[in-house]
Amino acid sequence: MSSVSSPTWLYGAIQRRRNRGLGGLYLVVAAFLVLYVVLFPGILSVGGFSKFTQNWFPLALVTMAQALLMLNGGITLAIGPLVSLGAVIAATTMESVFGVPGGIVAVAFTGLAIGAVIGAIVAHLRLPAIIVTLAGSFIITGVALILLPRPGGFIPDWLSNTLAGHTPVAFLLLVVVLLLWKAFLATPLGLGIYAAGDNPVGAFRSGVRVERAKIAAFALSGLLTALAGLFVAAQTGSGDPVIGAPFTLNSIAAAVLGGVGFLGGKGTMRGAICGSLLLSVMINVMFFLGFPPVAQYLAQGLIIVGAVAVPELLKSWRARR
Amino acid sequence: MTDQKPLLEARQVFKGFFGNPVLKGVDIALHPGRVHALLGENGAGKSTLINLLSGALQPDSGTIAVDGRPVGRFSPAAARAAGIAVVQQELSLTADLSIAENIGLGAFPRRFGLIDYAELHRGVRDVCGMVGLTEPLDMPVADLALGRRQMVEIAKALYRKPRVLILDEPTSSLSAHEAGILADVIETLRDRGTALLYISHRLNEVQALCSHVTVLKDGGVTADQSLSGIDGEGLVRLMVGRETGDLFPPRATANPGALRIGAEGFSAGLVRDIAFRGHAGEIVGIGGLVGQGQEDLLLGLYGAIPAKAAKAEVSGRPGLPADVGAANAAGLVYVPADRKHEGLVLPHSIASNLILPSLGRLARNGFRDRTAEGGLIADLARRLTIKGDVARPVQALSGGNQQKVALAKWLPLDPSVLLLNDPTRGVDIETKREIYLMLRGFAAEGRLVIIASSDTPELVHLCDRVVVLREGAVAAELSGEAISEEAIVGAAMGVDRKGAAA
Repeated sequence: MSSVSSPTWLYGAIQRRRNRGLGGLYLVVAAFLVLYVVLFPGILSVGGFSKFTQNWFPLALVTMAQALLMLNGGITLAIGPLVSLGAVIAATTMESVFGVPGGIVAVAFTGLAIGAVIGAIVAHLRLPAIIVTLAGSFIITGVALILLPRPGGFIPDWLSNTLAGHTPVAFLLLVVVLLLWKAFLATPLGLGIYAAGDNPVGAFRSGVRVERAKIAAFALSGLLTALAGLFVAAQTGSGDPVIGAPFTLNSIAAAVLGGVGFLGGKGTMRGAICGSLLLSVMINVMFFLGFPPVAQYLAQGLIIVGAVAVPELLKSWRARR
Repeated sequence: MTDQKPLLEARQVFKGFFGNPVLKGVDIALHPGRVHALLGENGAGKSTLINLLSGALQPDSGTIAVDGRPVGRFSPAAARAAGIAVVQQELSLTADLSIAENIGLGAFPRRFGLIDYAELHRGVRDVCGMVGLTEPLDMPVADLALGRRQMVEIAKALYRKPRVLILDEPTSSLSAHEAGILADVIETLRDRGTALLYISHRLNEVQALCSHVTVLKDGGVTADQSLSGIDGEGLVRLMVGRETGDLFPPRATANPGALRIGAEGFSAGLVRDIAFRGHAGEIVGIGGLVGQGQEDLLLGLYGAIPAKAAKAEVSGRPGLPADVGAANAAGLVYVPADRKHEGLVLPHSIASNLILPSLGRLARNGFRDRTAEGGLIADLARRLTIKGDVARPVQALSGGNQQKVALAKWLPLDPSVLLLNDPTRGVDIETKREIYLMLRGFAAEGRLVIIASSDTPELVHLCDRVVVLREGAVAAELSGEAISEEAIVGAAMGVDRKGAAA
C-alpha cells in the first residue's frame, strides 16, 4: 500500500519530502535571525524590514540564478559581470523615449539573450560551463565598460524609492519570483533541468530534451542575474560597470551553504534561498558589529567550509555509531 | 502468432564507431505477443542494436521500421511516440526526484502546461502495483536499493504503455523474488499483444520466458529461429559454438589449507555480528538477495568501511585491517562490482591501468622503470588473454575484458586473499569461462578467493563453500554436496527448501 492515499496529495507529499535534510539549515537560519533581531531590533519595523530585505534581495536572485545552473550540472562565473551589465543597461536606457518599461525590457532581454547564447555554446558544443562562463565574464565586463566607462547614468528617483525605499516591495517581488519558480518546477521542463543535471544520459533516453533544458536553465539564470543588476542600479541610483563583482563568488557560497551540490541534480532551491539569507545576515551582522574587513572575509570563508563539512562529519559520526 | 506484421524492425542496419564496425547488416523483427530473446557475447553489438531500435542512435545505413513503415530520423521522443519503451541496463533515474516523478519523466501528463500530479499519481500507482513497488511514491529514488531502483526503471517503461518493450539485462540487479515478479509482468504483457525483446546473460530466464531468439556474433546475425526444442546447451552452442559442459572448471577436491581470514562477532555496515572464516585454497561464495550486506562484508574485511569484530585473525595477524593500506599489506585485494567507477581509470590505457597498483614497487630511485613495467604488462596481458594493443584506453574494451583488467592489475602484488564483488555481472559467457578458470587457478595456487555473486549457478558450480546472507546475518552456510540452487535461494529468501523460486 502506498502511504500517499489520495491522488491530490502526491504533489504535497513530494514537496514535504524536499524539506528532508534541510531541518538543520532551517534551524541555523532561524537562530541567526533571532540573533539579528536581538542585536538590531529595528528590523521589526517596516522600514527596518524593508532595508534588510533590500540588502538580501539581489543576493537571493543571483543565488537562484547560480543554483538553477548547479542543479543542471553546470555553474556560472559570469554572475557578477552580468549584474553590472544589467545595472549599466538600466542606467543608460531609462532616459530614452521608452522610459522605465523600456529599460526593464532591455535589461530582461539582455539577460535572457546572453544566458541563452552561453547555454547554446555549452549544450551544443559540449564545452565545460566553467570555461565558457569565465570567457563570458570577461566579454560582458568589457561591454559594460564600453557602455558606461564610469559610474553614472540615470535612474528615476521614483523607481529607486519604490524598489529601495521604505516599503517592503523587494520582499514582495521575491515572493513573486519564488512562486513563479514553484510553478516552473511543476512543468516538465523544470523537472527536466533537475533530471538532466543528475543523469543526462538517462534523461535523454527518457525523452527529456537535455540540450533544451540546459539552454533554458542558462537563459533563466541570465534573466534573474540581469534583473538583480537592475535592482542594484535602483538601489544606488546609478549604473556602475563593476558593481556586481562580489556577487559571483557570493552566489556560489550561498548555494553551497544551502546544500546545492556541485555535480548536478542535488539540492533544492529552497535550500539555496535559505543559504542566501544566511549569508546576507552574516554579512550584515559582521558589518554592523564593526568587524574589520579582514575578519569578515575570514569568518565568511570559515563558515562556508564549516557548512559543507559539518553535515559530512555528522554523517560519518552517525555511520560509526 | 507470427502471421501478424512486426511492430518494430531493423533491416540491414550498419553502425560503426570511430571506424570500427559494430553492426554489419543486422535484421531483427519484433512481433506482437512474442518474447524475443537477443543473445550474444559482450561486444557482439547488442547494446548498439537496442540503441538503434530505441532512437538513441542513428544507423549508418539500413532502416528502422515501425509497423512496416520505415521511419526517417528516429529520436528517443519519436520512439516513445511510436510506443517503444526500453528498460536500460544502466539506470536512467534521477536520484533526488521522487519515484513518481522518475516514472513520469519525459512522458508527464500535463494540464495548463503544468505536470498533472493527480493524473501522474493514478498512472504511477497502476504500474507500481504491477511490479510490486510498495514504497511511498513521493520517496526520492536515492533512498532505494539498487534492485528496487531497477523495479522503478521497469515501472517507468510500463508507464509509457509500450507496444514494444525492450529489456536490457533487467534482472542483473534483481533478487530472485523481484525477477519472478518481472517474469509475471512479461507474460501478462505478451498475452496483451506487446512485442518484447529480452536481453539476458541468464539462459534459464531466456528459456523460461522467450519463444524466439536472435543471436548476434561479431556484429552479424548467426541465428534467428524459434526457441522451441532448444535447451540451455543448445543456446550456448548458438552463441559460442561450443558445448556448455566446460563453462565451469571442474571443482578440485576441497583441501583447505591454513586459516587466512577468521572473524567472530563481525559487524560492518549492514552486516551484524556474524562469524566468517576462509582458508587458503578455498573459493568461498557469498550469496543472498540483492543488498543483504554482501558488499559490506567484503568492504569490512578490506578495511574500506568501519568494521569491528569480537575476535579476528587476518593472514596470521590478530585483528581486522584498519584501512585499505593495512589490508593490502596483509595480502588482501578487492575488485569492486562497479568496475567503471571504482575499479578502473577508464580513459587511461590498458597498460597504465594494469601497472597502477605496482607503480610504487617497480620504481627505481623514485623514478619509473619503463623496462620492468613493459615486461610486467606483457606478462599480465598474456596470462589474462587480453587481446590487442595495450595502449588502447580501457573504455574501448567490452565489459568482460574490462573486468579482466580490473582483476589482472592486482596479480603482481601476489595477493593471498582476493575479495571479488560480483566479478561476472554483465560479462559474456566466453569471458566468464576465462574468469572462472582464473579463479580456480588462484585457489589451486593456495590463495583464498571470496566472491560475492548475484548469479546462483556461479555460486553452486564454482564455490567450495557458500555463505548466504539475509538481512546482514548468515542465513545458511553450505559446503560440498549441500550447495544447490534450491538451498541458496531458499536460504536467501528465508524459506525452507520447499517453495523456493528458482
